[in-house]
Amino acid sequence: MAIKYKILKAINISGMNFLAPVVRLAVGEDPQKQLREIGRFIVVPALAFLAFLLLWSVLAPKHKTKAGEVPTPRVTWEATGGIWRFHDRETRKDEAYQFTGGQRLEALVAAKSRMAELDALETKAKAELATVEASSKEKYDAVVGPVKAAYDKARETTSESRRTRTEALKTEAAALANSGADAREEFIGHLKAAEVTTGKEKTDLDSLKDKYTEVQSIAFPETKKAQRAVTLLAEERQFLVKYIDMLGEGSREVKVTESKAKYDEAKTAFLNAGPDEDLFKLGSSLVKRQELMATTETSSYAKPWTLPKQIVRSLLCVFAGFLLSSLIAIPLGILCGLSPTFMAATAPFVALFKPVSPLVWLPIIMIIVGGFMPDPANHWLILLFGKIPFIGNYKIDPMFLSSAITVALCSLWATLVNTALGVGSVDKDHMNVARVLRLGFWSRLFKIVIPTALPLIFAGLRISLGVGWMVLVAAEILSTSEGIGKFVNDMYTNGSSQSFAQMFVVVFIVGIIGMILDRIMVIFQRLVSFDNASSAI
Amino acid sequence: MHEQHLESIMEPNLLNSRRRFLSLLVATPTLLGLAPGISHAEKLAVEKDTLKLGFIKLTDCAPLVIAKEKGFFEDEGLQVEVTAQSNWKVLLDNVITGNLDGAHMLSGQPIAATIGIGTEAHIVTPYTLDLNGNAITVSNSIWEKMQENDPDLDSDKPKHPISAAALKPITEDMLAEGKKLQMGMVFPVSTHNYEIRYWLAAAGIHPGFYSKTDLAGRTDAEVELSVTPPPQMPATLEAGTISGYCVGEPWNQQAVAKGIGVPVVTNSEIWKNNPEKVFGVTKKWADENPNTIVAVTKALIRAGKWLDETDASGKLVNREEACRILSQPNYVGADFEVIKNSMTGTFIFQKTDVQDMPDFNVFFKHDCSYPWYSDGVWFLTQMRRWGQITEAKPASWYAETVKKIYLPEVYLKAAKALIAEGHMTEDELPKTTDGYKVATKDFIDGNEYDGRKPIEYLNSFKIGIKDEAALSSR
Repeated sequence: MAIKYKILKAINISGMNFLAPVVRLAVGEDPQKQLREIGRFIVVPALAFLAFLLLWSVLAPKHKTKAGEVPTPRVTWEATGGIWRFHDRETRKDEAYQFTGGQRLEALVAAKSRMAELDALETKAKAELATVEASSKEKYDAVVGPVKAAYDKARETTSESRRTRTEALKTEAAALANSGADAREEFIGHLKAAEVTTGKEKTDLDSLKDKYTEVQSIAFPETKKAQRAVTLLAEERQFLVKYIDMLGEGSREVKVTESKAKYDEAKTAFLNAGPDEDLFKLGSSLVKRQELMATTETSSYAKPWTLPKQIVRSLLCVFAGFLLSSLIAIPLGILCGLSPTFMAATAPFVALFKPVSPLVWLPIIMIIVGGFMPDPANHWLILLFGKIPFIGNYKIDPMFLSSAITVALCSLWATLVNTALGVGSVDKDHMNVARVLRLGFWSRLFKIVIPTALPLIFAGLRISLGVGWMVLVAAEILSTSEGIGKFVNDMYTNGSSQSFAQMFVVVFIVGIIGMILDRIMVIFQRLVSFDNASSAI
Repeated sequence: MHEQHLESIMEPNLLNSRRRFLSLLVATPTLLGLAPGISHAEKLAVEKDTLKLGFIKLTDCAPLVIAKEKGFFEDEGLQVEVTAQSNWKVLLDNVITGNLDGAHMLSGQPIAATIGIGTEAHIVTPYTLDLNGNAITVSNSIWEKMQENDPDLDSDKPKHPISAAALKPITEDMLAEGKKLQMGMVFPVSTHNYEIRYWLAAAGIHPGFYSKTDLAGRTDAEVELSVTPPPQMPATLEAGTISGYCVGEPWNQQAVAKGIGVPVVTNSEIWKNNPEKVFGVTKKWADENPNTIVAVTKALIRAGKWLDETDASGKLVNREEACRILSQPNYVGADFEVIKNSMTGTFIFQKTDVQDMPDFNVFFKHDCSYPWYSDGVWFLTQMRRWGQITEAKPASWYAETVKKIYLPEVYLKAAKALIAEGHMTEDELPKTTDGYKVATKDFIDGNEYDGRKPIEYLNSFKIGIKDEAALSSR
């Protein structure tokens, strides 16, 4: 039974109380009550989510945008495949570049056999597309043809009738030369009437034209599907061509062998050179080849950023900003809590800067950070980050630092205010006891003040992290710092048939990561709370 | 010193057996690659072997992408990361601050940066990435009004080129109501700005002057131009903020595909074979990396050649593959079909009006990639014409300025190395002695341009700032 309480406690601390009835049910505790709770806390939310998916599937296709249909859950799910394929292919190219020996040759054979299969598949897909296209062309002609004919005819009659009218009026005008004012007035009336008729005819024609334009945009899902199949195969071929090149001619192994051969050649030439040869020139050539060999040996494939790597970089960025904000906000908050005077001095700044949007901070910070780093590639800080294992792979640059500082600036307020509140609300009795015991300032701070304030500090940190995560994506879009925001921006600018759905995918990724971060903070918060105070979900 | 250094690396054995040998090996994988002792082409000793190059999501970034994907950079011993930038300002700033080694730039950008319009920095260019490739698109409602003004346009296949004459009554009506037609272009010193201005001014519509105090270029304007990043053009047009724009591909074809606008004129119709984008680096970078810049130029020339390769019938053979590569999400990322529309020798004005335009994108033909001084001078004259250059300058200033920015010597070094390696032939080198193209009248208004006579050219326009004729001999 002890295990049951342990599990229940873990569930409670992690704030996942909806799982508690399942555990209780498993040990057979009041099944009826547990089933009721499961119904309320698990089945109902699941049904609500299903209802959401259903509503989404029904509503999405109803709204047509110029960028294509709003993706349905199914299309969104398929789009994750596209994102993953891109990541997978780039990773495989990267590996291919580094493969050596048998592994490389094996991969090469596999890739070539796949390439051979592709030929047949592509021919088939293309034939399929041709048939579908031919049939949809027929359908298109059947639908659009009559409308076009009607429009063309109407256009002709309209311009014809306009011409006749103008001719008639011109004849009438010519006859006016000898007429008096009344006849002329009457002519003006005719002119006006003609204009009204022209206007009416034009409206009729326009409505026909609208209809024509509308039917022109008729869509054929089966053509789209066949086209998609052809595109997928063509993309795979494109990938395989490059992949095979990188396993063969373009692989590092071949390049290293090549440059080694050249180096050996130069070395032999230098060592065996006769007295009448230019030893200086041969020597320098040897040194140069040695350098080339060294750079080839350490070279790597310049892999583009893919979403998984961008997500990790975004996380690094938000943690960097969060760390920075905590380092500033907690000490300041403690000072504020301890000294009402200091609090009074800080209040106007908090009030003034708290509402400032990240979109205002970011450009300012980018300029300031840029000022510190005139030559970023060789700046000590960037070089330092580059040497740290793991983090070094994520190319810390001024844009990253600017985004992190923006995150810090926007998220530090919640921690600051909560810390001040926590410190300020330390029980007077505790402080009196400390005074009686003659505790020094530091002991009082670390033994009484901070431990008491900890739950509130963590509540603040939790809000800060949430705000930081929200701010980060915006900052990345604006600064084009690699990360989730950059991915969204790229997809938005790509405007391909896939990118709309891929942006939807990001909504869920950002949401899920935000949720996980929040849960982690909840756990910390519960762990430091004595009273096990429950927090909002 | 830097000259000598380059000479010494140019001369050794530049035989081309390597690639052919290797391709043989690839064909028989079991034998693969480990036999030494073949005479190799000499690589340049590059000062920097991992580079980060920037680009904007436009199809004319193709040479950079192709040089990477087809392994031309790797053949020069370079590992290159090609990263998308959100707009031209960010791209230029990143090149200046050193976040990027070099970038796909608007032809006007190195010039403007060097003479101090906008952010000041000495930028140089050894390579012109492409010719043509832009178009002016107007919204559906403006197109309808243009059709009313000129019934000849109201057909499934109107006659091209379409001038802005049918647009003039629209702007006049709007002016009478106290409004100005709003149009978009991508950057104050971009080719698009000068093209849309040229097109409007050729039909007598004043696009507005820049001045020291008016940096938006709207003094006396009858049509107001504003800056929008290329990828956002279609969305901005759809939202109605602007009624038309001048931009590169795929953003005009995107408007057709989405049915939100109608391209009316391409920039090759405004000026046949006009220079469009260049590869730009800072002067400092070029000085510090004299071999790397030649290596990059070599790779780019090969990429340009690859893109313009044709079969016996003159069909572009590699463009489909190029479109496939460009449609990858980390490059241009638009749909293959959309990119293909303009890249494979056709241009879709309307769904019913598909025109053959084999020269819509030129990457190597017509001596495209050589950095012509006369191209630079044309941009300088347009900057002066619209008041971005606020003071009158003598003809000699034009010639000297452009010599500081365009580096034909680097191009020639790269080209000669490629000739020695067998990747290029002698007759593919442009035949010129002074770096100026011959005078041409291939403009929409037929006005003659001779890069050697900038002042005369300036004074030949009806709309635009004019300078004292005496400056032409100074």
